[in-house]
Amino acid sequence: MGKAGGATAMRGEAVAVAAPPVLLDLDLDVFDGPFDLLITLILKDEIDIWEVRVSRIIAEYVLKLADSGDFDLDATSQFVVLVAALLEMKSRLLLEEDVEEDLEDLDPDEAAQRLLERLVRYSQFKNAGGALGDRWDEHAGRLYRNVAVPPALLRRPAPEGALPAQALVTALAPLLRDPPLPDTSHLADLAVSLVKELGRLRLILGDEGRFTFADVASRDRLERAVTFFALLELHSSGEALLRQTRHFGDIIVTRAARVARAEVAPVPVAAG
Amino acid sequence: MDSLARRLEALLFISARPLPAAELADACSCPHEEVVEALASLRDEYCAERHGFVLHEVAGGFTFAVADDCAADVRRLSGAERPDDLTPALLETLAVVAYLQLVTRSDVAEIRGVSSEWALTSLEERGLVEQQGRADTPGSPILYGSGERFLKLFGLRSLSELPPLEEFSLRASAVDEIRARLLSNAERRRA
Repeated sequence: MGKAGGATAMRGEAVAVAAPPVLLDLDLDVFDGPFDLLITLILKDEIDIWEVRVSRIIAEYVLKLADSGDFDLDATSQFVVLVAALLEMKSRLLLEEDVEEDLEDLDPDEAAQRLLERLVRYSQFKNAGGALGDRWDEHAGRLYRNVAVPPALLRRPAPEGALPAQALVTALAPLLRDPPLPDTSHLADLAVSLVKELGRLRLILGDEGRFTFADVASRDRLERAVTFFALLELHSSGEALLRQTRHFGDIIVTRAARVARAEVAPVPVAAG
Repeated sequence: MDSLARRLEALLFISARPLPAAELADACSCPHEEVVEALASLRDEYCAERHGFVLHEVAGGFTFAVADDCAADVRRLSGAERPDDLTPALLETLAVVAYLQLVTRSDVAEIRGVSSEWALTSLEERGLVEQQGRADTPGSPILYGSGERFLKLFGLRSLSELPPLEEFSLRASAVDEIRARLLSNAERRRA
């Protein structure tokens, strides 16, 4: 533990004297989390958690900190975590609710049983962590071979004079040739522009006087969209009237008499 | 030393990572059993009593490592430092990941009873746990597992070499005691 020194030095200081005869030794060095604290408190103390005076612990700690003049951020933040956990547990107990949030509806016996299961499961991992720590002490310092393969072994140098000069020319020639143009035939080619499509539709409108969207639209999605935009354009310019007999049905386009634009009532169009 | 052992020695010498026996057998075009046998003789040869480096079986393969009692000299020469020790909280989090992998952050928090964001991030920075995909549950949380570095640093051949979790259960007497106290607490609260 990198901060073992600091935390050990603090161990003596964190001895908290709460309401007598309660004496709680908060061992910062071994504290891992609320479950850990809970097990420690349950196993070790003969007092109730709510008898511990947290304010007293904090006051003493701050005094000691001021006296020593030595501020260890790691150890102090551990202390804050610990006191926060203690406060949380204590406030839950004082509220006479179960220690676990999701156990509120259980009767106390069942809640105790559930909590016991969690504590038992938790402590397996805590102990496994301890065993891992032992392995770490034994193995973590080992220096495994980790040198990369020497470059000389990765490259195979050609023997001198093994290649004729002509080989260089042969190798270079393909590099000087222009590569063939990449085949882009699979890419969608936008065949219509809005202006062209407007022109086409105007012609049809002029010749026929009436047509439907399905008549003039191509199968391509993008081109259909352009056709649709062109229809809207014709409509907004007052050249055509759009009509649908049902939602999502075909759009019927008819030539509008060249009247004042204001007279052309907008027609809702659901979709192409 | 027989000729196969010498050839394996060369492969192990040049490799920067542990080589599985199967890979060695491929490289030598030799039957697996013969390679295993030759590896055993190499292990006898490269032991700390005879050499400054030792043949180890670790992280699924075979690799050379500096003999433990020579490590200090190598560190002085190379300036390489021993990795910082892990705090109990980190070891505990690592145990959860190592035994239950793959796990999410909330799986770890559920078992430890405390948010483990920092611990997981710290273990990830040290290369001891790795992100190994995402769970197919709402929010697609990151799944954590342990990698090769974990096995090497803890001297494990594979994850199956971890002692069974049951070995770390609380003693029955401790469980009984906790139960008794929790129940008496419950009794008091009911009263």
